[in-house]
Amino acid sequence: MARTLKDLRPVYVVGVGWHRYQNPSETPYVTLGVTAIRDALADAHMDWPAVESAYVATALLGMASGRPMLRHLGATGVPLSHIENASASGSTAFRQACIEVASGLTDVSLAVGVDKRNPVRRDSTGMDNLAEDAIAQFTHFSLLTNEYAQRHKVSFEDIARVAVKNHRNGAKNKNAQRQQERTLEEVLGGKKVAGSLTALQCTPVGEGAAAAIVASEDGIKRLGLDTSRAIRVIGSTARSERVYAAGLGFDAVLTKETTTIALQEAQVSPQELDIIELHDAFTVEELHYIENIGICPEGQGVHLLKEGALDIGGRCAVNPSGGLIAMGHPIGPTGIGQIGEIALQLRGEAGARQHPKARTGLAHMVGVGAVCYVHLLQRP
Amino acid sequence: METLLKPSLYATDGTLQGGRCTCGHVFFPMQGHGCEVCGRHGADLQPMVLKGRGKLLSSTIVHLHIDKARTAPFTIGKIALADGPVVRTLLVDPTREIEPGTAMVTALVPAGAGENGQTILDLRFTPET
Repeated sequence: MARTLKDLRPVYVVGVGWHRYQNPSETPYVTLGVTAIRDALADAHMDWPAVESAYVATALLGMASGRPMLRHLGATGVPLSHIENASASGSTAFRQACIEVASGLTDVSLAVGVDKRNPVRRDSTGMDNLAEDAIAQFTHFSLLTNEYAQRHKVSFEDIARVAVKNHRNGAKNKNAQRQQERTLEEVLGGKKVAGSLTALQCTPVGEGAAAAIVASEDGIKRLGLDTSRAIRVIGSTARSERVYAAGLGFDAVLTKETTTIALQEAQVSPQELDIIELHDAFTVEELHYIENIGICPEGQGVHLLKEGALDIGGRCAVNPSGGLIAMGHPIGPTGIGQIGEIALQLRGEAGARQHPKARTGLAHMVGVGAVCYVHLLQRP
Repeated sequence: METLLKPSLYATDGTLQGGRCTCGHVFFPMQGHGCEVCGRHGADLQPMVLKGRGKLLSSTIVHLHIDKARTAPFTIGKIALADGPVVRTLLVDPTREIEPGTAMVTALVPAGAGENGQTILDLRFTPET
């Protein structure tokens, strides 16, 4: 019978690092990537030769971008794989690194995400469509915003409060692309892109890098790493979209399916989650996902938001990093950056963003396709 | 003289070119790659003309669009077709969102001119009157 991650060797996050997410610049991706990896190595207090395999997550850099980057760390000859899985590329690379360590094939593995804002290229499936070229991502989510507002009788102003919270969190994060607090008036007053959605309610796609190093207990012992800073990965679950009933939001249903399995396998209840980093590329997504993760019943997300239950220091800190809306969404790095934020929070090293007594965290990503990845992390 | 912009997807009578699998799954557009529900392919997938009517699930006005070939504002609707599939495309009226639940029908509207000066028609949805 197939086993779960928890049944295999324990895996720990031992080092996390970033190159700040930022607006597109002339900085080569190699600089972004090696900066994040060196940051993660320093965080773990280990040297590059200790890393036994590397997974490079990138959606927009093109073929074989990893080796021209990794060679500048000293070409140790480690196995190298590239992972493309849309927005979930980083989460997928992290999962592969965890699986490799958990299986016993390596003791120390690296997942690094790096991207520049290059054009997205998707080949034809051979099937035509009515007007998909007219439906940008923000238009897709504007449709979902209108559906949510109508179904649950909530105002667009209240949905926009997700952005106010996440900009507030991002303002305290030196690695965030947007580091400025915004009032509700500022969020609502910006230029509209579709329906009620304004620019400050949408993720700013930029560039950057994030890295996470995972290790087994043997690896931690052999390298003499600080066990008190190691955060265990207690669950890793991935799913892709099935055929759902007409009108159901596939991202939300897929989130529910994936999270239910992840929580069940790790034997964690939604109420035990202290930290959630989720895919809030657009404000309404955060409400959809916290409800489908099981934090509250459907349609109740706005109430939690308004009473501060989703703030740092609230019942469950949702997107303490600033989320995709403020931290940013450079695609390849994003899912790995979530892991980094959760690791900092669970170690108690998140500084001004620290959520008190954080023990258990959940990272959630969806990617166009659609795919969904959920990871659960816990302080031992 | 009039021609259709995407004749593989719809016909001049406003019907849509969908398909049906022997498992019962109805889909749009017609394709032969395989059934999304059961994986059957080949002769198990047969063309099925879908009625150009359905119910609006949601709509939104697009204020900004990067592609210069599509001038904003325009309105996108998500429609559950009477035959099952959900489609998303442009609505006839570019200026207003429509109440969810509204009965919608297809309409062919001019969308430019062809090489020989003929009108090119594209399929949109509009509230049933």
